[in-house]
Amino acid sequence: MAAPAIRGLGVLSGDQAKSADWGSAGAISGPPHMKGFKKETVDRKPLEILTLPRPERPGDRFRRATRECLLALAAVDAMLEDGKASREAIAGERTALLYVTAAAYGASNRAFIERRGGVMHFAYTAPAVVPAEVAIEFGVAGPYGILIGGAPATLRAIEQAARLLDAGTCDRALVLAVEIFEECADLYARHRRSYRWPLVETAACLWLERGAGELSFESARGGRRAAGAVGAGERFAAGPLADLRDWRARATAGPVELCGGWRGEQARLHWRPEISHARGSAA
Amino acid sequence: MATPERVVIAAAGVVTPIGQDLEAFWSSLVTGASGISQIERVPVADLRVQRGGEVKKLGRIKDWRGVPDCRASRLLIAAADDLCAQAGFRPLPLDPARVGVVVGTALGGVEEGEKALAGDRGRRRLPQALYDGPGWSLARWLGARGPVITVSTACASGATAMAVGADLLRAGEVDAVVAGGYDALCRFVLRGFDALRSLTRDEVRPFDRRRSGLLLGEAGALALLVRERDARGARLGTLLGYGSASDGFHIAAPEPEGRGLERAIRAALADARVSAADIDLVSAHGTATPLNDRIETAALKRALGRRAHEVPINSIKGSLGHTMGAAAALEAFMCLLSAQRGLIPPTLHLEEPDPECDLDYVPGQARPGRPRVMLSTSMGFGGCNGALVLEAA
Repeated sequence: MAAPAIRGLGVLSGDQAKSADWGSAGAISGPPHMKGFKKETVDRKPLEILTLPRPERPGDRFRRATRECLLALAAVDAMLEDGKASREAIAGERTALLYVTAAAYGASNRAFIERRGGVMHFAYTAPAVVPAEVAIEFGVAGPYGILIGGAPATLRAIEQAARLLDAGTCDRALVLAVEIFEECADLYARHRRSYRWPLVETAACLWLERGAGELSFESARGGRRAAGAVGAGERFAAGPLADLRDWRARATAGPVELCGGWRGEQARLHWRPEISHARGSAA
Repeated sequence: MATPERVVIAAAGVVTPIGQDLEAFWSSLVTGASGISQIERVPVADLRVQRGGEVKKLGRIKDWRGVPDCRASRLLIAAADDLCAQAGFRPLPLDPARVGVVVGTALGGVEEGEKALAGDRGRRRLPQALYDGPGWSLARWLGARGPVITVSTACASGATAMAVGADLLRAGEVDAVVAGGYDALCRFVLRGFDALRSLTRDEVRPFDRRRSGLLLGEAGALALLVRERDARGARLGTLLGYGSASDGFHIAAPEPEGRGLERAIRAALADARVSAADIDLVSAHGTATPLNDRIETAALKRALGRRAHEVPINSIKGSLGHTMGAAAALEAFMCLLSAQRGLIPPTLHLEEPDPECDLDYVPGQARPGRPRVMLSTSMGFGGCNGALVLEAA
């Protein structure tokens, strides 16, 4: 299968210490911060969550919007800035939108269960609402998909995007991943040994178009869990896009190998994309 | 462009409020039986509407050892048990690493999240509460060692899952896929829809002038998908094509003209390489909300043109409620069974036609007919629209 070309990549990550690193990607109300359960540890590492602040966005429509929705919008803004493109460039029926998350809906589900935010917030509990906000805000009206899972689901979404582009079903495809943890921190702490701490909140969006490189995907069950290139911390579905950001920042020639594991599945995407390395860490 | 590899639906299995196997489901549909009843499994006394399509007793499986105490997982596994009974599929007759699982859900194991937040510190609660928990439980029960994928395109999830399953086969990643959808009735979703005032105190009356909303239901629905060249023995039909499109309009309400659904239908027809004139039966999303049925009618008229006025169109949600993640898969199975048995199930409780819904919605009773190519449509929260095109065996 022909590999898609990278047209833009926006990554907002809880491990970026300085607010200046955010560029103009959404109006973020403050720098990322760390929430700790310092007394509780796994293998002597404190249970910490590197959180992303709630982005501010003008307009009444966003008054009720959840943090994960607003972070998704900010990630798309960052992607457009990286691609030096206007929002019109991704609008319309020829843009596919693939959303991936393992757990971002946890925050709004919890709020609804505990009756915080009012019962009318029910609509926001659906994972489908995060890409819906992106579709509404940026006028994206093409094919869509929503995969639930960790890093392998994101790698699969990139492959699915490549397939849609290859088949001419769309002209561009966005792969969006959002993971937030703060609202359910106590639940993750309960299952502390299941994760690689710290948990790093991340929102990322990748813009792909038809390309001429090479791409192959493989997945298998069992074996040791592939950690991905970003060694420290757990990002669930957003991990591969953060790895891709770091690969671009290194501006290395040659292919990138993205990998990751989830619930015993190990997946790997071998990708030699057409890419401009002009932008690096801002992406 | 090369013709894509054809994917066959070799067998199907279900657990629904109107029957806990495919045969019982089908006979209830054609006889106009209703699965709507007072909800008993979870407390509903504080809710405006207390009825739904509840599966009263999961009787198929006697021994749940090794299966999490999670309603969603158990619905899914009960449907898989029916599938296996029909397909002779357990133990797996194939290399387990070449068998994939793709399931669609609107709610995953959210009820486990409710329990965890209520103080239940069970080791399995949180992993099951993640929306992909039940899909992994199913894979373990089946012994499948291939990819396990969960999709959540709201009420279109079952259709998306079957399409993703077909893609896995075409890509050669697996040799068989168990694909479909599920969702369980729980406090979470009942309270949510009650708050949205989407539920009716009346019967569910798709396309009826008096329709006043939907009722929720629970179900599991799974198909065994294989490549046509690998198919042996009996089969239900062929999955010809799939299309999707987002509304980009509102997080909970459908786009008033149904443009997203129209795009999804056109994309599915193109993917299937058929025209509107080839369609012989439409299984509508038909939720019986005032808005949905009017919008769907308009979208069908635009997408199918004159053919929309010639073909029978039914909705089975009057019989079993809106089964969310399972709905699209159940509706696809209904289409294929119609073709196989030569009968088209009626739209239950459609008695007074709505002038704005002026197509042939199969009121009254089941009608003889043997459709060859069928369209099944779905619309969901977040503006998710999906359409499947199916062909009779």
